[in-house]
Amino acid sequence: MALKGGGFERKSKASDQIPSSSLADIAFLLLIFFMVTTVFRTEQDRQIEWPEAVATQQIDEKRDNIMYIWVERNGDVWINDRLVPMENVSDLVAPRWVESGRRLRISLRADAQVPYRFVDAVQQEIREAGAIYVVFATDLERRMMRERR
Amino acid sequence: MAILNKKQKVSDEIPSASMADIAFLLLIFFLVTTVFPKDRGLPIVLPEDQQEIEIPQKNILHILINPDGTVGVRRGDSQDEAIYSPRDIEGVWRLEVAQNPNLIAGVRTHPEAAHRYMIQVLDALQTAGSDRISLQMQDG
Repeated sequence: MALKGGGFERKSKASDQIPSSSLADIAFLLLIFFMVTTVFRTEQDRQIEWPEAVATQQIDEKRDNIMYIWVERNGDVWINDRLVPMENVSDLVAPRWVESGRRLRISLRADAQVPYRFVDAVQQEIREAGAIYVVFATDLERRMMRERR
Repeated sequence: MAILNKKQKVSDEIPSASMADIAFLLLIFFLVTTVFPKDRGLPIVLPEDQQEIEIPQKNILHILINPDGTVGVRRGDSQDEAIYSPRDIEGVWRLEVAQNPNLIAGVRTHPEAAHRYMIQVLDALQTAGSDRISLQMQDG
């Protein structure tokens, strides 16, 4: 009678089961990690119609260094849930620009239908504050039929 | 004594076998409900103050955005203006920049033109790989 395993039969002391007693600890660790790293929005979104663009890119900057300026269809400017008169925009941008060490990105969230003079006025205010990085917030446009040259 | 000695059948410990299930349930809940902010758009760098430099007219492609969304394209100092739709600008830019690599796009938008027409033109220019864009407003 041939020996099972060629005579190397030895009782293994290690269990062949994955230890499940620490599963809860792992799960809770993950849970706590996600809870801690989640940043809640402190600012409410304004209702705007987003312009669409094919070349839309992700902003490659920390959340703290992104400032949102909302421009509504009627030309109202909202920053941090507050209606801001156009001439005061630069006073709000300037301290953030210095605070961020000249890295501040301004996400300009203007309604698709707003007349351009309001967008231009906001840009002038941003320049007055010294900030130079502006991102025109857009939605990614998916074009099915795109002619290429 | 007979009554007091009765063995209690109910365990006095909280069952920990389902603890992992509860934790994973919470974990999945948080994963699903987390909304990632959409921080995206078309980036542009505004000129700093005292950084305005004169550019020879031949290196400028004037792109004039009208209130109705049509786009007039005028090359440098020439006076003739061709009318395009915003989507054609990508091709126009590719053709023009092939002839003159130093070309700068001077996008001048009418004050009453909708923001999205400017975005369409900016989108076309960025899709065509242009990074020398100047945004201005027409006097009006």
